[in-house]
Amino acid sequence: MPIFKPDVETLGRKELRELQIEKLQIVVNQAYANVDFYRRKFDEAGLSPDDIKNLDDLGKIPFTTRKDLMDNYPYGMFAVPLRDVVRLQFPLGLHGNPIVIGYTREDLKIWRELVARIMVGIGVTEHDIIQVAFNYGLFMGAIRFNQSAELIGAAVVPSSIASADVQIRIMQDFRSTVLTSTPSFAVHIMENVKRKGLDPKTLSLKTGLFGAEPWPESVRRALEENLGIRAYDIYGVMELIEPGVAGECPARKGLHIFEDHFLPEIVNPQTGGVKGEGEEGELVLTTLTTGAYPLLRYRTSDVTALHSTPCDCGRTLIRMDRALRRTDQMISVRGINVFPEKITEVLATIPDAGPGYALIPRTKYGMNDQLTVQVEAASRILDSREETKIAFQEAVQLAFRRALGLRVEVELMKKA
Amino acid sequence: MLKIKNIDAFFGKIQVLRHVSLHIEAGEIVSLIGANGAGKTTLLNVISGLHPSPNGSRVFLGVETRSLRPERIVALGLIQVPEADKVFSPLSVLENLELGAYIRRGDPRALKKNMEEIFRLFPVLEERKEQPAALLSGGERQMLALGKALMGSPRLLLLDEPSLGLAPTVVAEIFQTIRSLHERGTTILLVEQNARDALRISRRAYVLDTGRITLTGAGEELIGNEEVKRAFLGKDYRGKWER
Repeated sequence: MPIFKPDVETLGRKELRELQIEKLQIVVNQAYANVDFYRRKFDEAGLSPDDIKNLDDLGKIPFTTRKDLMDNYPYGMFAVPLRDVVRLQFPLGLHGNPIVIGYTREDLKIWRELVARIMVGIGVTEHDIIQVAFNYGLFMGAIRFNQSAELIGAAVVPSSIASADVQIRIMQDFRSTVLTSTPSFAVHIMENVKRKGLDPKTLSLKTGLFGAEPWPESVRRALEENLGIRAYDIYGVMELIEPGVAGECPARKGLHIFEDHFLPEIVNPQTGGVKGEGEEGELVLTTLTTGAYPLLRYRTSDVTALHSTPCDCGRTLIRMDRALRRTDQMISVRGINVFPEKITEVLATIPDAGPGYALIPRTKYGMNDQLTVQVEAASRILDSREETKIAFQEAVQLAFRRALGLRVEVELMKKA
Repeated sequence: MLKIKNIDAFFGKIQVLRHVSLHIEAGEIVSLIGANGAGKTTLLNVISGLHPSPNGSRVFLGVETRSLRPERIVALGLIQVPEADKVFSPLSVLENLELGAYIRRGDPRALKKNMEEIFRLFPVLEERKEQPAALLSGGERQMLALGKALMGSPRLLLLDEPSLGLAPTVVAEIFQTIRSLHERGTTILLVEQNARDALRISRRAYVLDTGRITLTGAGEELIGNEEVKRAFLGKDYRGKWER
């Protein structure tokens, strides 16, 4: 398979590290000079940008957490004035203060290239027709597939969240060769293909690129068998670039992290201590080239391990294991992130509801397919007429739908 | 071709370079831009071995040059064209060029070939080869300075403000010359205050701001970059929310 940017994707590890230290020093200089938050953090730690002389010095820099991003909402983490920012994005479903991520023109260009690297790496060419079945409203990364596909010269069909029937019809009529979506939506499409008794060989699909939620190998096998595709994983972090941090290559022995733009580390989620190669822990990323929103040692909450042993595909970029677990309590339901803190927040706005609750996800193929929220309700609700109970239940359901962008089942329970 | 890492430099107690790291690949034009006093010339002088740097490493063609004397560094093919005192005014053009080949003395044939090539590149120098350098115009003196450096058969040419003090038409000519030097295969590190022209001909660039590298990127991409402008003009906004 071709490599989009061989000069960096196959660069020797030593040369890559030299390039990284150069870029790390620059991003630290920028962050210290332009972001008050980082200046304060450095000063408090008694650290100067001049202390970052080698990649080993990275560990001296304090972590950045999601809470930091929230505390500095809206523009406190920006390294450039708003006038240099050409896009402002805010991930939905977060709790507390929202966060907003700014991108300069250059940042968007980098992002576009990174997803294109993944696409080219798995064989997408200008002859392909890419069906993008991500939710464009909820998933900020969806639009990226358009721009990256267009960069390669492939044709894009933004089918978004059209029904499975429509998706299949598009696949048949347009002869889509690549499907990109959440793995759960792909499974939903797959089940409808089966239900219709369609032979996958009659479809033109050959490649699947799935992400935005964890999906086990069993799902990969099912999708490949039933849709006649090779399925690949793509990884992003909503607070940096989603997707586009890493992607699988044909060897599928982990996802190559684009180390010319991100510096990865694995740390012990409890102690913050840096772990060695091959050891599992929390992925921490430092942006090396981001202009508007540089993040130093950002705690992603994703659990993985890193491997730099040579890859069959020829890339020298480090590989991360597929991120299937989290260090926080966030769960993903059909690709939508649900934070328990958000549930608490929603319940606090509804009289007679909460504070206790339980989340009961229903899984299909090992992925969360549906979420039931058992909510504590005041006895005056529970003891009232059936209609009142149903109305209350529906009100809670609507509140969740508004807050999460997800339809959940609501069950009422007695206060403990 | 050249890799420098964590270079510091001082004038007395004042630190003018702070852990500067950069690299140049063979065949590149890389420009180093920044406001007056950012430390650009000092950095070139450190690379050439003319200004001491207490720490860091600088590797040219695989050789650590920290402990080498400037003339040894020149002999390796790293040649700087300095900003001021570019040429020896009382000496003729020809004598100036011959001085540039001081390091290559002992090979008259190669010398002659070099000289012919320089005259092809700068026909005006051949026309005036007998005249004292003092009589040359500003642009011609800059060409002579370049020619003198080329006599040393550089692998990497460090150019310090080649457009300084020249009329706009002459500046265009000088940049055209730099371009053709690059096309002949010379790798170039270009220091300029004239950022726009420098970025236009550079593959990559670094921005130096009060002794620190604060930005890097492809030359073309940095042309419109606001951070580059700020590096020259200082902060131009009061708050992050300004649009």
